[in-house]
Amino acid sequence: MRARALVRLWSIYGEPLWVIVNMGFPILSSLAFSLLYLSIGAGSYVGFAVLGGVMVSFWSNVLWSMASQFNWDKQDGMFEIYLTSPASITAILIGMSLGGIINTVPSAAIVTAIGWALFHPVVYASWGAVVLTFFLTLAALYALGMTLSSLYLVYGREAESMNNVLQEPVSMFSGVYFPSIGAFSPFPFAVQLAASLIPLTIGMDALRRSLFFGQGFSGVSLDLFLLADLSVAFLIASMVALKALERKGRTDGTISVRIR
Amino acid sequence: MLSFRSLFAAAWMGVQHDLAWTAPVASLLLNVVAPFASVMTVSIIYWFGASHGTSAFDPTHLAYILVGAALYAHIAAYAWVPTTAIAEGKNLAVFPHIYITSRSTAVYLAGRALSSFVISTVTSLLALCLAFFAIGSVLHASVPLLVTPLSLAMLGVALLVNIPGALGLGYLLGAYSLYASKFEWSLPGYVAGLLMVFSGALFPPTILPWPLSAGAAALPFTFFISAARDALIYGLPGEYAVSLAYCAVGGVIMLAVFLQVYLKAEKRARRDGVLDRRLA
Repeated sequence: MRARALVRLWSIYGEPLWVIVNMGFPILSSLAFSLLYLSIGAGSYVGFAVLGGVMVSFWSNVLWSMASQFNWDKQDGMFEIYLTSPASITAILIGMSLGGIINTVPSAAIVTAIGWALFHPVVYASWGAVVLTFFLTLAALYALGMTLSSLYLVYGREAESMNNVLQEPVSMFSGVYFPSIGAFSPFPFAVQLAASLIPLTIGMDALRRSLFFGQGFSGVSLDLFLLADLSVAFLIASMVALKALERKGRTDGTISVRIR
Repeated sequence: MLSFRSLFAAAWMGVQHDLAWTAPVASLLLNVVAPFASVMTVSIIYWFGASHGTSAFDPTHLAYILVGAALYAHIAAYAWVPTTAIAEGKNLAVFPHIYITSRSTAVYLAGRALSSFVISTVTSLLALCLAFFAIGSVLHASVPLLVTPLSLAMLGVALLVNIPGALGLGYLLGAYSLYASKFEWSLPGYVAGLLMVFSGALFPPTILPWPLSAGAAALPFTFFISAARDALIYGLPGEYAVSLAYCAVGGVIMLAVFLQVYLKAEKRARRDGVLDRRLA
């Protein structure tokens, strides 16, 4: 686990330009949506767009550096090495997640700093709840990434197309830039319920309430409980999926096929 | 350099690449998902902001944002195709087979971009139609779009006139990709993000600080989106013609300049031997 996390860390801190690269879309989309809020006379909600940009950094990292990673590792011949090593694949995935989180922090911090410097969003925070919500959201989100990573083992190059399909709708239903669940949601209750299975949805809702509306632990306790549940559920799902698909891949002889 | 046969072969390869990874109809429909979600996201932001902000909800403003969001996604979808054609081509050893032919790789990139233009036109317009109905049922708002044979023909002409500018941008990014081997994958995000901010897709460029506002207002993409709005929302043929003329002139200039940049980069890349290197 530590070894895989360190590879991630070296990959970005050996090439600091990656920080700039990673923050491209989050900062520009955050900027665009902040300006959109300002242009329609809703400047008091500009913080939603800045927070959305921060969390999109992590969501992109989960999709492109977690979910598709094993697929790329297969193409580069790394996955065979994982399989033949005595290390557990789950430990490798957890290491990848930790490395991914630490790697994304600088980009997220820069997005935050630029957003705050340019737009001065009004914050009325309950910082304890914000910090706990943030870490639980990341735990659940990266556990989802581990599950997707396992599922993507059965894909070939379709994985990239699937990522392109998933990225925007998940951002929309999760309400990265606007409330997608609760009283202010535009979606019907059934859609809100389905969207709540995505950790980002619960996390964004709780982060917005604790960061901008001062709700403390009691206000977001249900969200925290759900996030903790989702973390555990996705972790177990990833382990089960990984085992099943690894067995299938070994039986079919496709597990280390580089390009399909 | 120009060969319609090569151009057609490259375009067909692009269609195969973009649609044949699964059942073509399924992949076309899957390609609608991202622009639809993107258009819905900005529409909901407007709905939420206008409902809880200081200005009143204005359906015409919603139409303004809807059309802009669908079209910036369209431009972004095909402007970065040359980049991915080179990056993925190097990675999967396709690009070396292109560059050893007697044609310049510029023809191949033009073919790939044109096929993507066709696919992206279909998917963006489908996304726009779906969003139009979804906004009606989810946000309970009607979007005042002018859908007549004339307005659709005007939109079609605007889409075609925008090709040179987008292709020029594609060549510029492609020139970078010839030499890059790590960061080119992030370019689509940058292209989409920059277009969102600077093409007047979501808000008038005039709200940007000077000189950014002046630069954004002079982009051919800004004129293209403005012309499309004149056709689909305001029904202003005069304004449309002016915007289209600026778009055409700016696009041709961009194409001429950035094609030269690409050809020079290609020549140099051949000399430096980086065209077939996965890691340049």
